[in-house]
Amino acid sequence: MNLAHLHLLLNHFPTIGFGIGLGLFFVGLFAKNEELKRASLVILFLIAVIAIPTYLSGAAALDKICDRVNGAIKCPADLSLTLIQEHEDWALLAFALMEITGFFAWVGLWQMRRTPKLASWNATAILLLAIITFGFMSIAANEGGNIRHPEIQSAEDIVTAQAAARVPMARAIGAFVISKTWLWPACETLHFVGLCLLFVTVLFVNLRVLGFAKSVSFAAVYQLLPLGILGFGINLLTGMMFFLAAPQQYINNVEFHRKIIFVVLAGINVLYFMLFDKAWKVGAGDDAPTSSKVAAAISLYLWVGILYYGEMLPFLGNSF
Amino acid sequence: MIEFLHMIEESAFSTWVRESPSIWSFPVILLVHTVGMALIVGVSAGIDLRILGMAPALRLAPMEKFLPILWFGFWTNAITGTMLLVADASMKLTNPDFYVKMAFIALSLINLSMIRKYVFRDPLIETGKFSSKARFLAWSSLFCWLVVITSGRLLAYVGSTSTYK
Repeated sequence: MNLAHLHLLLNHFPTIGFGIGLGLFFVGLFAKNEELKRASLVILFLIAVIAIPTYLSGAAALDKICDRVNGAIKCPADLSLTLIQEHEDWALLAFALMEITGFFAWVGLWQMRRTPKLASWNATAILLLAIITFGFMSIAANEGGNIRHPEIQSAEDIVTAQAAARVPMARAIGAFVISKTWLWPACETLHFVGLCLLFVTVLFVNLRVLGFAKSVSFAAVYQLLPLGILGFGINLLTGMMFFLAAPQQYINNVEFHRKIIFVVLAGINVLYFMLFDKAWKVGAGDDAPTSSKVAAAISLYLWVGILYYGEMLPFLGNSF
Repeated sequence: MIEFLHMIEESAFSTWVRESPSIWSFPVILLVHTVGMALIVGVSAGIDLRILGMAPALRLAPMEKFLPILWFGFWTNAITGTMLLVADASMKLTNPDFYVKMAFIALSLINLSMIRKYVFRDPLIETGKFSSKARFLAWSSLFCWLVVITSGRLLAYVGSTSTYK
């Protein structure tokens, strides 16, 4: 199996999973059922996490099926580069919006731990964002289908694709990042700032669960989680700048693959602390139950691993 | 002076840090330096943001227990930082950016000791109300660490290029 296979496997999740999440959210809103809303937020958040490797493996799939000759991309005769880049543009837009939706879904889940009802401003934001994202995602999926299934293509599609021959958005953003000498270092600096915010949250929350500073209740350290998700947001944004600017450094870099796998696992891990009552009930002076300690230890392992793989990108991998 | 710096650079240890193909030399030293940074700036920023009103249910007083983690990070980075410095002494020590970084590390630590003195030792700490002085110290701490990270990151980009590169 290569990364092109992985993309073919993963690419169904964002559209179908997001559709299910959105449908469930609708039902939850109409039925005024907070548990259904909560379940749909979990789905929307998880799909946003899975969208990360989906987008990245798409860039790798392009690399697999087409060659780069002197900076220009040459695809086999039966494949249209224009169609691929159309797909990439919509996918990038849908991906960006999906991450923003996932962020609001996360905030909703975080708030619902303390106040059982989802805030109406957040419900509106999630609903609007999710509908727009789903629309963009459907177009991206449809464009993606056209790449390998010419039989479903209408003559109209072909004409539009040819008329749309232009610099794809991902390349344009990447070229912009490269063209400004200050931009890459600035993103690196912000990536480090985000790392500090994320890591301190990981440290405070997990060390408390493991038995450090027991006079603090879990509910108190839980208030720090948005700081961690803010750090993650900064790093996802700046990380994407690196990826768009120099995809060749990452798509065939095993350290990067491991880093992204760990990011997905860490995304699943954080849900333990938000959904399960065991950790939540740890009051001031209490010892956390073993299952919470295991989750905390896994979390520390994953984030140190993400730091390790990120740091090793230039040394064990091929990036600079 | 520059001869002395070259002498340091040419020592067996410096050469090993710089040129060894082993992952245990430069890559792991840099990794430990990054983790150390996360411990120092992370713990410090957590305290600063708490003073500024984030996570109100989290009492500040017990957060002092995290300061040993900060100091562990600090000494780790003092050691790994020295290792990285001797490997590239003539470039780093002639780069103004390096001195900016060192100066702001000093300012950050002075700032931290003032937070200990005026915030943690303040008998009113348990009330959760922080004076404007405490808030100023929190902002200046965040600013100083930001300069440290930025100037540290920029060491890879600005100044004269190492003769070894």
